[in-house]
Amino acid sequence: MTYPVHLVELIEEFQEVEDQMERLEMVFEMADEVLVLAVDVWSDETRILGCQSEAHVLVTLDDGKVLMSGGADAQLVQGLMGILSIAINGAAPAQALLLSPDFATEMGILNSLSPGRSNGFRNMFDKVMLEIRRLEA
Amino acid sequence: MIYLALRDDFPILQRTVHGHPLVYLDNAATTQKPQVVIDAMSEYYSRSNANVHRAVHTLAGEATDGYEGCRTRLKTWFNAERAILTSGTTEAINLVAHAWGRANLTKDDAIVLTEMEHHSDIVPWQMLAEERGVEIRYVPVLDDFTLDMEVFEASLVGAKLVCVVHTSNVLGVRNPLERIIESAHAAGAKVLIDAAQGAPHVRIDFDAFGADFMAFSAHKMCGPTGIGALLVRPDAFQEMQPFMGGGDMIETVTTEGSTYQENEHKFEAGTPRIAEAIGWNAAFGWMESLDLEKEHKRMLEIARYTAKELRGMGMTVYGRHDDGDSAVVSFLHPKLHSEDMAHLLDAVGYAVRTGHHCAQPLLHRLGITSTVRASYYFYNTMEEAEKFIAQLKIILERFA
Repeated sequence: MTYPVHLVELIEEFQEVEDQMERLEMVFEMADEVLVLAVDVWSDETRILGCQSEAHVLVTLDDGKVLMSGGADAQLVQGLMGILSIAINGAAPAQALLLSPDFATEMGILNSLSPGRSNGFRNMFDKVMLEIRRLEA
Repeated sequence: MIYLALRDDFPILQRTVHGHPLVYLDNAATTQKPQVVIDAMSEYYSRSNANVHRAVHTLAGEATDGYEGCRTRLKTWFNAERAILTSGTTEAINLVAHAWGRANLTKDDAIVLTEMEHHSDIVPWQMLAEERGVEIRYVPVLDDFTLDMEVFEASLVGAKLVCVVHTSNVLGVRNPLERIIESAHAAGAKVLIDAAQGAPHVRIDFDAFGADFMAFSAHKMCGPTGIGALLVRPDAFQEMQPFMGGGDMIETVTTEGSTYQENEHKFEAGTPRIAEAIGWNAAFGWMESLDLEKEHKRMLEIARYTAKELRGMGMTVYGRHDDGDSAVVSFLHPKLHSEDMAHLLDAVGYAVRTGHHCAQPLLHRLGITSTVRASYYFYNTMEEAEKFIAQLKIILERFA
């Protein structure tokens, strides 16, 4: 699968890291990349089910382009949101829908996080894609 | 590493995780297996694999001896007259709910539970309550992490069954079981003890203890996963009706109906967990070589050291670590999320558990949704605990 240039760069950056703690630190840092969804608008509609922590996302269209915002009480989960928003924000809905969650595996994230966490990532990814499909319809 | 000879019996302790030596501190979830357990199960499959009981051939005889040998060991180890082999604590409790509860509880009867219970000692009773209209009463947990015994005593009026956890899997608190059993019996209620966390740490004399039912799992005491037991007092055993029907639990079957075995087989329909029983028996054999009381004290010292250091680092520790308690240390940092901490610890080889530990009512009572939990067992050392604390300090400096 071909990825947007900024995502390819990020994948390469993660692949260069061998130390597990360092890789997790990079995911932590990605938490700042997510457009913050304020806690007071968290609701059952924004909740990501299947995450062990409290995690929420909201997907809207800004001038016809995907705009994902989110928040989580765990830094690693929010970091994963940051990575996903780098992958899809600014893309046309049809283009964003072409994205496969495999990029997280290529970055070593799914290997580096627990199955519970990885499922959380997958659940987050699936929810975001579902929201995009709804907006597109 | 200070040399602890028994560590050599556990091959998994030689492995590394992410390039770091494994420090396994998730023993309240499951314990590691000594080589003798692995060998016993492998030997069974390599030499004696057969179904148990009726066949006359040699292999069936060996398999039956292996399977029933585990039951004999359970009866000896716990001084119990009846030992039903189950898939674990959860199935054992569900068995009481179905085999005893359905036969003996009716609308308006009451069951007393506590806020400290594992989900496996809550959900089966909620299901029974829905089906039969049975009332469930919960004994609250106080701020000092103990049960409110005044409420407990008051809850006994009209109660038919008391279900209580021996030792909390979150707090490590050992409940005042002797008083609970005595009061419950005086009120005419039977008592079920969830000993999933208690049985692995102390020798329990089931007969002297006086409980009517006691459930526990092999995998939390160096045995295999997939097997556990329900110990039952003879009078309670007589009050149990068959739950699962099938092979092995019957005496005769005709097209008109069936008659059932009178012994534990009545509750073990189908091909049982033969290799697991053989492995568990080997685990008991391994544990027999230990001075459990001495080992328990050593583990508790490690837990106390950990709790003290964590408090000194600004963590909230949930538990008290009194003499009879288990070596479980649940804690939270005021800023760093429990899951983040567990992942960061895993990155350097430390296996801890995070989440609600299947005790959501207890965590709700404590006003939290998760903890990080470090739990120690025989093969853990004080040096591991010291390194754990040192590693946590590094993590907090870098991430909190």
